[in-house]
Amino acid sequence: MLIVVLLASLPVFAAADSQWILQQSTLTYHVSHPLHQSEGVSHGAKGKGVCHAGQCEFLIAVPVKSFDSGDSNRDLHMIQVTRGAEFPLVTVRTRLSESDAAASTINADLEIQFAGQTAHYKQVPFKVEKQGGETHITGTIPATLTDFKIDPPSLLTIPVKNDVPVRVDMTWRPQ
Amino acid sequence: MLRNWLCNPFVAFLRLLFICLLVQVAPSLIAQTTTGVVRGTVSDESGRAVANAAVTATGIETEQKQMTNTGPDGTYKLELSAGKYRLTFEAAGFKTLEISSVTVNGPAPEVLDGKLEKSEQVSDKPAATQQESLPNAPSSSTSAPSLSDLGLSPEQTQGNAREQALLDKRTHMLKIHQRMGLITTIPLIATVAVSFNAGGKNTSSASRDLHAALGGLTGDLYGITAYYAIRAPRVPGTKKRGPIKFHEAMAWIHGPGMILTPVLGIMAFNEKNKGEKVHGIASAHNPVAIVTAGAFGAALLSVSVKF
Repeated sequence: MLIVVLLASLPVFAAADSQWILQQSTLTYHVSHPLHQSEGVSHGAKGKGVCHAGQCEFLIAVPVKSFDSGDSNRDLHMIQVTRGAEFPLVTVRTRLSESDAAASTINADLEIQFAGQTAHYKQVPFKVEKQGGETHITGTIPATLTDFKIDPPSLLTIPVKNDVPVRVDMTWRPQ
Repeated sequence: MLRNWLCNPFVAFLRLLFICLLVQVAPSLIAQTTTGVVRGTVSDESGRAVANAAVTATGIETEQKQMTNTGPDGTYKLELSAGKYRLTFEAAGFKTLEISSVTVNGPAPEVLDGKLEKSEQVSDKPAATQQESLPNAPSSSTSAPSLSDLGLSPEQTQGNAREQALLDKRTHMLKIHQRMGLITTIPLIATVAVSFNAGGKNTSSASRDLHAALGGLTGDLYGITAYYAIRAPRVPGTKKRGPIKFHEAMAWIHGPGMILTPVLGIMAFNEKNKGEKVHGIASAHNPVAIVTAGAFGAALLSVSVKF
């Protein structure tokens, strides 16, 4: 199934040459089937942001195998259809400018590599909350199976829907 | 008595249908048991090896894909099930090369070299198979973080084509298992439905024949269904979780039941044909069949409907 994930961002693009570390994350994909509504959750993402000359570049990577839907059979099937053994990571790259800093919402252009394919998502909105020294980011990436040329997994010969939105919940801290 | 039952015309007819069905399934079974190797070298127009080129074999009949990348010396190797494949070679800065049909039919390796022509324009959006799109590709910017900055282990970043092939085979077999399981429910339900006319005092031998024939067909289809589940490769290190545990537990009930039910059924069949009342152990045919069918249905529902 699957699909996956994520994003990146960064709210406060601090001073030049600063760095951000992904403190914790929850990424959840949602799959719809006439007989099932399934979700797979990963807490295994790792991410880093590097800011320089007013621009911050972020990279987030999550192992495909780290998604857990509560059903080992389904998880193996998802890894298979997404070619997760061959392409074990989902990576997300984004670049944000310093001028976005004080916003409570950011719109990020994401480049996601998954299942051996690259997809670009323009202006994906994320909500930003500052909590102490940490920055909490939430949003949903409108991923689809066709974005990554994934054949829809099927149950009882009925394929799942093409839309596989990925909810993102991340906490970043400056390094 | 077994011979009498097997020579029954209804049984013979339905078994003929079954054989026709088996002929349909056999090619995929054979495809899973015969493998071959396609290997070669990918180079550019000047003959220099092209590293990290993506080589994809797509089954012409199955549409299943298997992919690998060339090494630093431009060589690649794909282990494929027997069949016909379409091969594509892709690399950043080169035109895609496609070989429309390659036949793999035995252990002798097919050697297919690919010569790539430089593309006139390089897209600013990396193709899926270009080096930049690979998980371990370097960042496009010197200031951007790279995967090595994230502290991921090599096991987490490096692809494993052999494991992917194992997963592909597993999924392929379990899809057949699933479809055969669904097909099996049809004669199973029919067998149960006609059983009401097969065991009473006033039943005709034709009703019993039909019941026996449908039961035999159900057993045969069940055997194929079970084969594909049992022979599907296991993935090392996987801990079973979720409904699949119940699904497999039910197999310990309907599996023996699918053996015991026809054995008892044959005994009951012959007793009835002799004009006797079904007695002794043969009288357990009915309850054993009910439990077996119930366990089969529960197994099916456990992976179909979320409770």
